[in-house]
Amino acid sequence: MSALTISDNVRKFLHYTAWLTIVLLLSACGVKQVVVKGEFPSPLVSKLPLTLGVWYGDDFANHEFFDETTDRAESDWKVTTGQAQVQMWDILLGGMFENLVHLKTRPTADSRNQSIDAVLIPHVEEFQYALPKQTNIKVYEIWMRYRFEMVTNGGDAIAEWSMTAYGKTPTAFLQSSEAAVNLAAVMALRDAGAHFVVNFARVPAVQEWLQRTTKREHD
Amino acid sequence: MHRVLLLAAAVVLLSGCVTTTVDELIFNEPTEGIGESTVVILGRRHGSDQGTEPDFITCVGKHISKRDKSIVVTGEVDFLNSLYPWFEPRTAPLSLADLRKLIRREPVARRMAELNTRYIIWIGGSTERVDSGGSMSCTIGPGGGGCFGFAYWSDEANYEAVIWDFADQAEVGRVNTTAFGQSYIPAIIIPIPLIAPVQGTACNGMGDKLLKFLSGKY
Repeated sequence: MSALTISDNVRKFLHYTAWLTIVLLLSACGVKQVVVKGEFPSPLVSKLPLTLGVWYGDDFANHEFFDETTDRAESDWKVTTGQAQVQMWDILLGGMFENLVHLKTRPTADSRNQSIDAVLIPHVEEFQYALPKQTNIKVYEIWMRYRFEMVTNGGDAIAEWSMTAYGKTPTAFLQSSEAAVNLAAVMALRDAGAHFVVNFARVPAVQEWLQRTTKREHD
Repeated sequence: MHRVLLLAAAVVLLSGCVTTTVDELIFNEPTEGIGESTVVILGRRHGSDQGTEPDFITCVGKHISKRDKSIVVTGEVDFLNSLYPWFEPRTAPLSLADLRKLIRREPVARRMAELNTRYIIWIGGSTERVDSGGSMSCTIGPGGGGCFGFAYWSDEANYEAVIWDFADQAEVGRVNTTAFGQSYIPAIIIPIPLIAPVQGTACNGMGDKLLKFLSGKY
């Protein structure tokens, strides 16, 4: 009777193990989804005494990247960065400028807000990723190219420039590929913030605008 | 008691061998430890290589603070967040001249004073797989399962720590650690991993040398 019970338990165990193996094999061929989540610190800078408006277009606020693989052994990837983008840029710009105002629409001559000195409109132009399987290096990488438009409160162009951001994270024991891609994306967003802080005032058109605006504020 | 001995014997038998070398070059060692000041250990990640693993940085920090509880090691992430964006891979000072330029920024100088950081230790390098081979296959069926074969791999760790004295704004020492180890998995029905703890050994070697530098007790 006891031998029969053990035999039944072994059969049950093997049955579940076989199902688990099938599920694991099938899951390898599905879509791997990452909704990027992270914490972003406020920049340690002296705030510019200006009021900046920011408008996140739908493409930016809901930004996602989808890569359909051609290799049947690999998975498709869907990386959603929109929410994390808005979170990071809100914290960064809030730490760089005295006041930050969110706009619901793109500024136009009709919707002019006189209290705003300028409006920043960020765009994600390109997004690329690389996995250790593809590169044979033990690193997950994310690369992004941004385009920034800076316009007056009436929508006239002040400056337009591009900027890249890069994040990488080494593979770690017991870390899933989704967690590693998330971390690489967070690193790329942090890098975007660092790049923006360092280079914002060096963009020639922004530099001219800053000189004009701060002089006007002083007068 | 027997169980503990058996477990210890199993751990020893199931570990692969690691050879390690630690070199140091100290210019100006504190005679009585670092006192009330804090130390931060940061990984170098600006290059195109994989960058220093965060796990390794955490391991060295834990090794130091566990052996000498009076040493306050600021966590890497906490330090990076509180000085964001000035110690990110793109912006981190690569030389003491860069550091001097950085602390001319008033908010940075103020934050560094708040953190009371005396030593900044930069660790560069990584652990990489240099060789692997063999083969092992596992099968599972209604009648049972098992593995058969033999797999092996070799890891090599190479790290260098550069110690900056923030108060004097000078480099006060360098510690270099290399470790090499080969791991095996022989399998006859059950795979038996014999793992060489290469990164852990390098961490202990680096931690011990840094401890000798930072602590008055060692």
